[in-house]
Amino acid sequence: MSLSTSLSIAVQSLGAATGALQATNNNIANANTPGYSRQVVILQEAAPTNLGNLSEGNGVVLEGYQSVRDELLQSRIQQETQSQSGANAQLASMQQIQPAFTTSTQDIGTQMSALFASLSSLSTNPTSASSRQGVITAGQNLATAFNTVSSTLTTQQSNLNSQVTQDVGAINQLTAQIAALNPQIVQLKAAGQDGGTLQDQQNQLVLSLSALTSVSVTNASDGSTTLSTGNGTPLVVGSQSLALQTSTGANGMTQVLDSNGTNVTASLTSGDLGGSVQTRDQTIPGILNQLDTLANQFGNAFNAAQKTGFDQNGNAGQNFFTVPSTVAGSAGAITMAITNPALVAASSDGTAGSDGNLANLSGVQTGTLAAGQTPGDAYSSLVYQVGSLTSNANAESTATAASLLQLNDQLSSVSGVSIDQESTNLITYQQSYEAAARVVTTIQALFQTTMSMGTAAAE
Amino acid sequence: MRVTNMVPDVQFAMQQSQQALSAALQQVSTGLRVNQPSDDPAAAANMVVSLAASANVDRYTKNISALQPQMQTADSAISSIVTSLNSAVTLGTSAANGTNSAANKQAIVVQLQSVLSNVIAQANTSYQGSYVFGGSETTTPPFVAASATYTSAQGSTAPPLSATLPLTAGSITTISDASTGKTFTFTVTAGETISNLSAAVSGAAAAGTLSAGTTATINATGQLSIGTNSSTDGIVVSSNDPALGAMTATSGTSVPNAYAYVGNSSVNSVQVGDSMDVASNLPGGQMLTSGPNVIGSLNTLITAIQSGSTAQIGTATTAISTGLNYIGQQRIPMDNALSQLSSQDSYLGQETLTLTTQQTSLVGINLAVAATNLSQAELTNSAVLAAAAKVLPQTLLDYLK
Repeated sequence: MSLSTSLSIAVQSLGAATGALQATNNNIANANTPGYSRQVVILQEAAPTNLGNLSEGNGVVLEGYQSVRDELLQSRIQQETQSQSGANAQLASMQQIQPAFTTSTQDIGTQMSALFASLSSLSTNPTSASSRQGVITAGQNLATAFNTVSSTLTTQQSNLNSQVTQDVGAINQLTAQIAALNPQIVQLKAAGQDGGTLQDQQNQLVLSLSALTSVSVTNASDGSTTLSTGNGTPLVVGSQSLALQTSTGANGMTQVLDSNGTNVTASLTSGDLGGSVQTRDQTIPGILNQLDTLANQFGNAFNAAQKTGFDQNGNAGQNFFTVPSTVAGSAGAITMAITNPALVAASSDGTAGSDGNLANLSGVQTGTLAAGQTPGDAYSSLVYQVGSLTSNANAESTATAASLLQLNDQLSSVSGVSIDQESTNLITYQQSYEAAARVVTTIQALFQTTMSMGTAAAE
Repeated sequence: MRVTNMVPDVQFAMQQSQQALSAALQQVSTGLRVNQPSDDPAAAANMVVSLAASANVDRYTKNISALQPQMQTADSAISSIVTSLNSAVTLGTSAANGTNSAANKQAIVVQLQSVLSNVIAQANTSYQGSYVFGGSETTTPPFVAASATYTSAQGSTAPPLSATLPLTAGSITTISDASTGKTFTFTVTAGETISNLSAAVSGAAAAGTLSAGTTATINATGQLSIGTNSSTDGIVVSSNDPALGAMTATSGTSVPNAYAYVGNSSVNSVQVGDSMDVASNLPGGQMLTSGPNVIGSLNTLITAIQSGSTAQIGTATTAISTGLNYIGQQRIPMDNALSQLSSQDSYLGQETLTLTTQQTSLVGINLAVAATNLSQAELTNSAVLAAAAKVLPQTLLDYLK
């Protein structure tokens, strides 16, 4: 082997060390960049030169850089992110609904008890104007409590409805960006290169999309990524993104349509969009329906009891509450039908001093409503349900957070940048570089020695 | 496993321990384990039921507090009536003594009149504006001075009323008789006229509900006149029929010492327990007139002393004694109710304690436990922070000097 061949090997190894240092440098620089997958340098032995029986090594070749990825883990993280965002969306709504059902001085249960207490107080003195006023005020407070809780639920529902529109907008923006990256990645792959930074960017965008809705990801061999929603509605195909659309449904709520105009709202189950849609269309209407049923049946039962008696003027009792004829919207619309304290039908015989009908009015407390429960029990099971929904959403959110942390740990164990490891790499490549430089110096010295051999001979 | 970055784990651990710390702090500051339904949905739901039960106990207790003075007022009025009637019996017995002079008898009559007014005053006792012995007619005095004749407002000016005049369906005309102690009520059914009312009144007089000879007729001026046939039998008439107008006592027909009961027989009941109601009043008619007519007997005794025989005085005195025994029986349920109230009051006190204990165990937390939880949470949090401080700054670079 000639000195010049050795020099050329040394220069190659200087280049390889520089390239490795470059990868280390890039890793250190992106240690905290979200979605960054660490790069490793690909070094390969150069093909040897065979001289008869002698095979001489030709140094090192810098083949390129490779990002270290684990697609399976990445896909698990995407799925877990969908679950977590869905649970978080539900949790956020339930946390705002829950205070309306928390025992306070204003909640429905307390106001119901207050109404029966006011009737009880009236029974000891049926002609007392202040006791009669007490019943009217307690009735008013109960109606207001129903109205307030109903309004909390419907406000939350309409907030979620706005969220649906925002989410769809964000999804469309993300799918457009993801689709735009596809051809660039395909081009790199075709050239035999790693997707590198572009792939990292696309993965990060898919992760952001997962936080919004359920997506299924298919990676083609050419490097392109195809995305569809959980039920198969395509979102990204090649360089094309298929935008979701929105329209207002018959119930006044925003519906999500795929690019063909098919309504896919009911199939959205996870991600922020899925969580919002589920809470808006299933959870809240479920609670609202029970609340409406309670308000409607309680109001009608109370009215029926009121009609069996006579007011202070000896007239037949009239409705106490104004209750809508349909169950839907009853909690929001229930109001007092009477404001005159004399119209409380306490009397059973038409005389002002009789309290005989108060037993019928108080009987509503222990009587069963259509569902077979007392009003108190119906309200208590509603509280249980709200508590349980909130607690379940919270548990799911915590569990997915823990699981997501673990998955991220696993992914970063594969793709993450370890500063310690990079520091050792830095030392390794620095030493390689120094050694190669030393080879260059040595060969230079040898060259000079060789040159001076000639000069010395001439002298 | 290759560990690259501990920051997310440390952050998660810090967040968890801070959440636990915040929950422990809330438990200490509120004394509650369940601050919102999601903390323990089942306990929160049971709490709703338990609070409703507490509210019921509260209202029963308030009812007892409201009833006790009212019933005690009624009870002491009855005691006073009993004392008065006992003195009436004593006076009647002494009046039956044949050696009494006219002046003595007159003195006894004056005393008996005072006894009668005292009995009426006690029977018209009110508590906080409500008459306690009027049944559910609590707004007007239940015992009213009676007159021999009542006339209608309608008919005094043309056109005069006639027997064929239709009455208003559903209207009620009530005649309370001081002598019989009973009340006659006529409710008009559609198509009935004054002659139906007249026939019903005559029927009631024949049946003994009203004094014999009581009639309802159209008088010379064209008004409906309802009257007894005697200056010593008094009645009180009321009607809400617009065809008749208000019934008023005819001037000059007032019957001395005659009082009629114009209340009703309704008994109000008040709930003082989940399945316990007590009668909060005792209708005066039931106690003093419709059974043995004690008020009528007092009047009879006065009349007998003034003009009757010793035997008549004796009969009237015996009738008052019978009435006294009857009152004694009638007040028993009220006295029982009063003692029930006080035992129920103690029971409710105990029940409040039971419910409070139940509520504490449902949603409350023992302060010692809460404090321990807090210090444990503090300890965990400090440990996590200390570990974070130790772990995070450690890199190989620190050693490569």
